[in-house]
Amino acid sequence: MTTRIFVPRDAAARAVGADRVAEALQAEVDRRQLDVTLVRTGSRGLFWLEPMIEVETSAGRVAYGPVKASDVPGLVEAGLSQGVAHPLRVGRPEEIPFLQRQTRVTFARCGVVDPLSLHDYRAHGGYRGLARARDLGPAGTIEEVTASGLRGRGGAGFPAGIKWKTAADAAADRKYVVCNADEGDSGTYADRMLMEGDPFSVIEGMTIAGYAVGAAKGYIYIRSEYPDAIRTMERAVAVARAAGCLNGFDLEIRVGAGAYVCGEETALLESIEGRRGQVRPKPPLPAHKGLFGCPTVINNLVTLSTVPAILADGAKAYAVLGMGRSRGTMPIQIAGNVRHGGLFEAPFGLTLGEIVDEIGGGTRNGRPIRAVQVGGPLGAYFPRALFDTPFDYEAYAARDGLIGHGGVVVFDDSVDMARQARFALEFCGIESCGKCTPCRIGSVRGVETIDRIIDGDRRDANLALIEDLCQTLKFGSLCALGGFTPYPVMSAIRHFPEDFGRPRHAVA
Amino acid sequence: MEAAKLVMMANQIGKFFAAQRGADPVAAIADHLDKFWEPRMRTEIVAHVAAGGAGLDEPVRAAVGRLREARLPGTGMRV
Amino acid sequence: MPLVQETDYGTPASTSTEVVGLTIDGIRVTVPAGTSIMRAAMEAGIQVPKLCATDSVEAFGSCRLCLVEIAGRTGTPASCTTPVAAGMVVSTQTERLKQVRKGVMELYISDHPLDCLTCAANGDCELQDMAGAVGLRDVRYGYAGENHLAEAKDESNPYFTFDPSKCIVCSRCVRACEEVQGTFALTIQGRGFDSKVSAGMAESFIESECVSCGACVQACPTATLMEKTVIEIGLPEHSVVTTCAYCGVGCNFKAEMRGEEVVRMVPAKDGKANHGHSCVKGRFAWGYANHRERILKPMMRERIDQPWREVSWDEAIGRVASEFKRLQLTHGVRSIGGITSSRCTNEETYLVQKLVRGGFGNNNIDTCARVCHSPTGYGLKATFGTSAGTQDFDSVEHADVVIVIGANPTDAHPVFASRLKKRLRQGARLIVIDPRRIDLVRTPHVEAAHHLALRPGTNAAILNALAHTIVTEGLADEAFIRERCDLSAFAHWAAFVSEPQNSPEAVGPVTGVSPDEIRAAARLFATGGNGAIYYGLGVTEHSQGSTVVMAIANLAMVTGNIGRPGVGVNPLRGQNNVQGSCDMGSFPHEFSGYRHVSDDGVRATFEELWGRPLDAEPGLRIVNMFDAALDGSFKGLYVQGEDILQSDPNTHHVAAALAAMECIVVQDLFLNETSRYAHVFLPGSTFLEKDGTFTNAERRINRVRRVMAPRNGMADWEVTLAIGKAMGFEMPYAHPAEVMDEIARLTPSFAGVSYDLLDRVGSVQWPCNAAAPVGTPVMHAESFQRGKGNFMITEYVATDEKVGPRFPLLLTTGRVLTQYNVGAQTRRTANVVWHEEDVLEIHPHDAEERGVRDGDWVKLDSRTGGTTLRARVTDRVAPGVVYTTFHHPVTQANVVTSEHSDWATNCPEYKVTAVQVAPSNGPSDWQREYGEHGRKNLRIAAVVAE
Repeated sequence: MTTRIFVPRDAAARAVGADRVAEALQAEVDRRQLDVTLVRTGSRGLFWLEPMIEVETSAGRVAYGPVKASDVPGLVEAGLSQGVAHPLRVGRPEEIPFLQRQTRVTFARCGVVDPLSLHDYRAHGGYRGLARARDLGPAGTIEEVTASGLRGRGGAGFPAGIKWKTAADAAADRKYVVCNADEGDSGTYADRMLMEGDPFSVIEGMTIAGYAVGAAKGYIYIRSEYPDAIRTMERAVAVARAAGCLNGFDLEIRVGAGAYVCGEETALLESIEGRRGQVRPKPPLPAHKGLFGCPTVINNLVTLSTVPAILADGAKAYAVLGMGRSRGTMPIQIAGNVRHGGLFEAPFGLTLGEIVDEIGGGTRNGRPIRAVQVGGPLGAYFPRALFDTPFDYEAYAARDGLIGHGGVVVFDDSVDMARQARFALEFCGIESCGKCTPCRIGSVRGVETIDRIIDGDRRDANLALIEDLCQTLKFGSLCALGGFTPYPVMSAIRHFPEDFGRPRHAVA
Repeated sequence: MEAAKLVMMANQIGKFFAAQRGADPVAAIADHLDKFWEPRMRTEIVAHVAAGGAGLDEPVRAAVGRLREARLPGTGMRV
Repeated sequence: MPLVQETDYGTPASTSTEVVGLTIDGIRVTVPAGTSIMRAAMEAGIQVPKLCATDSVEAFGSCRLCLVEIAGRTGTPASCTTPVAAGMVVSTQTERLKQVRKGVMELYISDHPLDCLTCAANGDCELQDMAGAVGLRDVRYGYAGENHLAEAKDESNPYFTFDPSKCIVCSRCVRACEEVQGTFALTIQGRGFDSKVSAGMAESFIESECVSCGACVQACPTATLMEKTVIEIGLPEHSVVTTCAYCGVGCNFKAEMRGEEVVRMVPAKDGKANHGHSCVKGRFAWGYANHRERILKPMMRERIDQPWREVSWDEAIGRVASEFKRLQLTHGVRSIGGITSSRCTNEETYLVQKLVRGGFGNNNIDTCARVCHSPTGYGLKATFGTSAGTQDFDSVEHADVVIVIGANPTDAHPVFASRLKKRLRQGARLIVIDPRRIDLVRTPHVEAAHHLALRPGTNAAILNALAHTIVTEGLADEAFIRERCDLSAFAHWAAFVSEPQNSPEAVGPVTGVSPDEIRAAARLFATGGNGAIYYGLGVTEHSQGSTVVMAIANLAMVTGNIGRPGVGVNPLRGQNNVQGSCDMGSFPHEFSGYRHVSDDGVRATFEELWGRPLDAEPGLRIVNMFDAALDGSFKGLYVQGEDILQSDPNTHHVAAALAAMECIVVQDLFLNETSRYAHVFLPGSTFLEKDGTFTNAERRINRVRRVMAPRNGMADWEVTLAIGKAMGFEMPYAHPAEVMDEIARLTPSFAGVSYDLLDRVGSVQWPCNAAAPVGTPVMHAESFQRGKGNFMITEYVATDEKVGPRFPLLLTTGRVLTQYNVGAQTRRTANVVWHEEDVLEIHPHDAEERGVRDGDWVKLDSRTGGTTLRARVTDRVAPGVVYTTFHHPVTQANVVTSEHSDWATNCPEYKVTAVQVAPSNGPSDWQREYGEHGRKNLRIAAVVAE
């Protein structure tokens, strides 16, 4: 019987040599004329173990990692295909604590299946969601999504069901579904992993959305920095189309041009239309007047990929997970200076301390954690004093932060928070589309003012000016780029005043 | 005025009215010439017909025969 | 009147009929649904601070000054982009809003020069106003940071400057270029702090696609885009609302003045034809009024080979009267005549025709409309009963399918073209019927559904084929025809168009257009919703001009496209007052209001009021005048404001006729081409120096108001009165208003018109009378003016102007945007930077065959004459067709045009001339001789004794 060995081809795994490992394995298999098939999968998301290869045994899969190409001959020699013991053997992946603690709903297939095999996809529950949606009818499908409590995973957390209903209720000859895969937040990779590891879930989710709202065409907008994801998604769409899975719904992939702001939904729509990636004022809502002026459902990729599972297993099964108004699971992406970096899908509610200390295992270099930035480059910095904050949209908002797309970046005690505040404003300036005044001019003035603070030039006056500027940015900006820049800036000033030349007690 | 030019113009007019249906083209041509041609032009085309009417299409020739006599200017000055 | 300050409501008005009530700052406001909070506030008298919003363009939401708070909603939404909702409670001033606004202004000013006192916009700058409105007192960021203050100024455009150091990147200019003008010449280049306004691909304005319409300058809230005249002179202190004297769109402008000096011409927002938009001519090309070549004193000479002699007004007028009287005594009452101008006011035109009919005692009065739109008058009268277009310009906003035939609106009627393009961008479909690929065929975000690029001279054939398709495919609007049209005429016509020779398949080879394309266009027009037809001189200036106007009317009737907004037959009039000059009785056979001179009853009313017996016979038309002159029976001519030598066809023939006359009196601004043959020159005045009215292409009577005294010392209408008086025909009026009162008294369709009414309501469209006290935007709404709509049979007759081995190409002519007709005005402005000379467009295939390269001198010859000009090799024209403009006397395109003319009206066939093109090494002998003659004509010998 043929033995299957799984080697990820996720970009994160490839970055640490997965391709070389696969080549070495193939060479070794060929040399020894073994009855082994190599399957390239997505990643399980345990990045400190990548490249992590798995072998299918009678007792289930057994994982080894991190594997280097030079380890391969020894591994094969030792009896890799039987799953034998080896210093690199980490055992059954499901039993690795990092995975065991997770509740994988959205990422259930990621790292398990051959991403481009429709057979694998179906064998692991794929297309059950669409079938059920058809049984429920469009209105029933929307009710199901609403009942699940699923909120937008791009960061805004807007209930997906309400968005869908608005688009469904809008009378128009033509409607669109747009998948936002312009994943630009620092320390995030959930969209990329799904596209590379389980692209059919995206396609099924969009097909369901199209069915529910009456759209016949969908666009997947992927950032250009994700060439692997673009390639996999393109192939998957071709496979699905050829297999007749789209069933009257068509999909097109559009590649961004490197602007962070195109992750903002209206700027993304402008970009697809071939215009400058500039934010549109709302109203009109995209659900009323979106792409090419037609009613449009635009959701983050994780949101759409979660829909098939919700339909397949029922809204209730999803809604029982989570806390407060944050229902279901969230793929938390742990990055930065951390021992166990990777994707951790869990119901809402974990505290930040649990995430970074227990799951992440503290910093990689062993120094104490000083700050954690949650929610991307525009998320707030949390000091240890706030590590009791549960992972929940409202709880983070209550502490002047946001969970965003689920990125968690860990910093040790060598971090200079004034530099981090400066970086936030600099980032805002670099990524500003230039449309609204607070962001366009304010970001540049903000950097100049922080520089004066760092130089010790009229510190109190300039700190007061930065606070005023942050108010202007927060209430005056057209979109979240300028509007959220105050989160990292003000959290750095508030929680780490000593880095700004102020005694700790000076700030409430 | 140059007779050839007047003949050409009159024939152009004739062609249009000859193509109309359900109306008498000769009357229509005559009416058009009366309404739009200055007395000098009418006098000359009448003279041209009197001299044989070379080049004029048939309905036009007939219409010229029906033209009104020009009235004198109201001031009573020499015409 | 003081400087007119128009209210800027920030966002365009909503057209919704549903109303919504809300509360803003405690005030109850009721506005149409879809209105922005900003506009609703403004209508209640609450000014929300703003910079990027202006009511000529859609809301953009970028400046972030207009934020408000709404009870029950989080955040601070922009009032410009947020529509009102029932029961909404809005606050425009809260502590938080004040802080944000001040914060935003502080950022703006941190990147803006602090030269307010010496800035051209000082006192007229919205940025300055807003800094005051939000109470900005301090810029804590200092001025040492990154900035744009050193950006270089672009002064390449002759009329305005672009100073990026003063730019606040509000995008109002970019949006105005897109939304108002539809040219898409401007963009924002770069991102973030590097964002800047850029013309084209980072070009200078002059090199870019910019058409200098002025919309960007108008929209700019700072001194970034600024008229050079304001920079030179300073801000105006008073303004006078008047009407542009260029094309037939009839844009209203505010002449903004400092004393008697015009500072700038600004399109009036409440102008009913232009709604605040303008083109490069009306907005900027008014400097000819002060051009050094303007003649300001009367001049005379005994013979045309003598130099001119300046004389007193009395002497000049005395000479005119004595010569005209002498000629009438010697050669008869009908030996003299007059020509009115479509450039002059209704009142001036009315007086000239009154002088001819009452004072000269004959009907030898014609107008330059003869050579442009006379077939429109004839054709529409025969079919509909009224010699005028059926719609207002606003109608285009309701059109679904638009046919543009024989017109080039983006060049010749630019402000209307912008409105048309806007409608097309909203989804209306376009059918272009034109030998040449005019810009509308494909322009940014607009593409014609069909371009029927027919052979010049085959309009009738193609229109018959369109009608054939509609009738034989059962697409006629039978209900409309049954109710509104003469059924017997329809039956005859339907039988005629259904005949096989009118099928697209039969007509294809004649027109050069594929039958499928003709059928598809016909189906689209018949089934695509409201169908509107716009046409120009490409229809009228043919030997079948009147026939084709009727064919257009037939097409509108058979598809039921008459009598409501969005449809109709719309002649685009070339000059400002073509409609008016026709209305005023300038045609030799008609009194004002299109009533024939042979109608004894009508004539009696004029005779009674004027106290003179009137001639009952039609007079000579312009072309007949030339023939009669060569015949020796026509000796004297009073030409007001038309350059017949340059603008009429077959220049050699016209020149010979003029030379044969004994007294030619030219009244004009400049020593024009006709004045070479003139004996008396009477200086005229510009529209800036006039009181009166112009009637535009939509029958709209617009007031022209004097902004400065006539520089020549005498108003044009007073000159006509003086000639009349010297000839013993007194016309006693104290002001043009009294002339209009007489027109109203004598003309049923003008019965309700008075200056009082115009001052009150702005403008009216005739008919304006007891039945329609404020005018008639859409005609034939219930029934046709003539009762039942009359289908006329429009048989295609090939023109006698035929191509052959000697003259194998067809020449057609047109205009460019920046020049106007014979160029007398525009050539005397900076507009020449865009069009220094007339060029000949020729297809690459025809050019190759003749060894002609782009930019070469070529000789253009026809049966009547020849000229030389430069070639432009382009596939805009089809093989076999060449094209040129007629703006420059040195080219004299009319040397080659033929004497063929419209069968009904003698409108010349400018649009079809058989020609040959060959390489040349310079101007022709004729051009050299003509140039020398012209120089001699400029000699002015003696100065009048004071």
